[in-house]
Amino acid sequence: MCLALPMRITAVDGVLATIASAGLEQRASLMLVPDARVGDYVLVHAGFAISVLDEAEAGETLDLLREIGAFAPDDGDEADDAG
Amino acid sequence: MTPADELLRLAADLRAEARPGLTFMEVCGTHTMSIARYGLRELLPAGMRLVSGPGCPVCVTAMADLDRVVELARLPGVTLATFGDLIRVPASRTTLAAERAGGADVRVVYSPRDAVQIAADEPDRQVVFAGIGFETTAPTIAASLLEARARDLTNFSVLSMHKTMPLPLKALLELGETPISGFLLPGHVSVITGTACYEFLARDYGVAGVVAGFEPHDILRALLRLVRQAAPAIEIEYGRAVRPEGNVVAQRLLEQVFEPSDADWRGLGVIPGSGLALRPEYADADAALRFPVRLEPPLEPADCRCGEVLRGVTDPADCALFGVRCTPEDPVGACMVSSEGACAARYRYRGLDD
Repeated sequence: MCLALPMRITAVDGVLATIASAGLEQRASLMLVPDARVGDYVLVHAGFAISVLDEAEAGETLDLLREIGAFAPDDGDEADDAG
Repeated sequence: MTPADELLRLAADLRAEARPGLTFMEVCGTHTMSIARYGLRELLPAGMRLVSGPGCPVCVTAMADLDRVVELARLPGVTLATFGDLIRVPASRTTLAAERAGGADVRVVYSPRDAVQIAADEPDRQVVFAGIGFETTAPTIAASLLEARARDLTNFSVLSMHKTMPLPLKALLELGETPISGFLLPGHVSVITGTACYEFLARDYGVAGVVAGFEPHDILRALLRLVRQAAPAIEIEYGRAVRPEGNVVAQRLLEQVFEPSDADWRGLGVIPGSGLALRPEYADADAALRFPVRLEPPLEPADCRCGEVLRGVTDPADCALFGVRCTPEDPVGACMVSSEGACAARYRYRGLDD
């Protein structure tokens, strides 16, 4: 339930950001991380960015996630989306 | 070095350095899932145990609270919005999924903001958000409640069943049923709280804690840090996301909207001050006050040992129901329903994780 994924901010419009990861794009609120900027990696939980990640480390984690298959398509069942 | 090589190297270091008989508890359902999914128990030194704690929010929700959610969903005119984890969890006599099939308006949302939007789009519905989750999730509910208020959406309310993490750890140590050498502390709860709230573990109980990330490497690195501590201390392995002071903006928001309350934990009972109730200033958005319901006495499923599993006392596989009468498809207890429940994680990755 405390699942949060690292995603990159590609655009900011007021308190809402467009965020992207692994080809997936969505909107998230920046209300909890008001200092986040375009280009930052943020951890996204239940539609809110909750932490700004160190870019180099987040990039490394994303590479790792792809390599170990954490974005495998079998992970989309309803029970997994619970914030 | 490939990620697999790196994992094997970390595992070799653990085997070389860990003294026998260590038991570590992970207190986050996402850790439980990660440990099972990557088969990390296979890599541990012989004799080192990893046990799950009260870290799956749906699992620790008391039966009476689940019954209240169901009763609210049954009210005419109410739309019950919830995260997906909750809808198949057995309440005393039914589930939200069964109520939905029977005509109740139960909607699964990804974000509490989506529930606010439903309230805006459907002004004739009373939208109630089932607020379940720890410090990670509670700020997102607080923010959504403020958004609804800013948009003058008087048809949005929250049933707050939120819980906070440090006090159940204290309760577990006070019970002393499970020998715990150290905690893998929850990464995304700690993003919000920081680490000061865990210092009492080392100071008062001599028990170590390391805040861990969720990749398999994070978990092995955190275990290695626990093993290497000369004296019990609280450390952060998940430094890319967690600052010692936490997310101060989110903490202020929690403080603004919620106040500590007593909370009933499955397996641990009522722990004073371990819940988050809406402050009186937000009483108009408090679903518990807006929609008083009469509850039948809660019924616990016979033979289900979920409460013991949540205290780390009973291994999921030692429950007589496990995999026989209780499976993710036809669950008896909450720990088999939530994807992050210790029983569901063990069942899903059986063969890899036992």
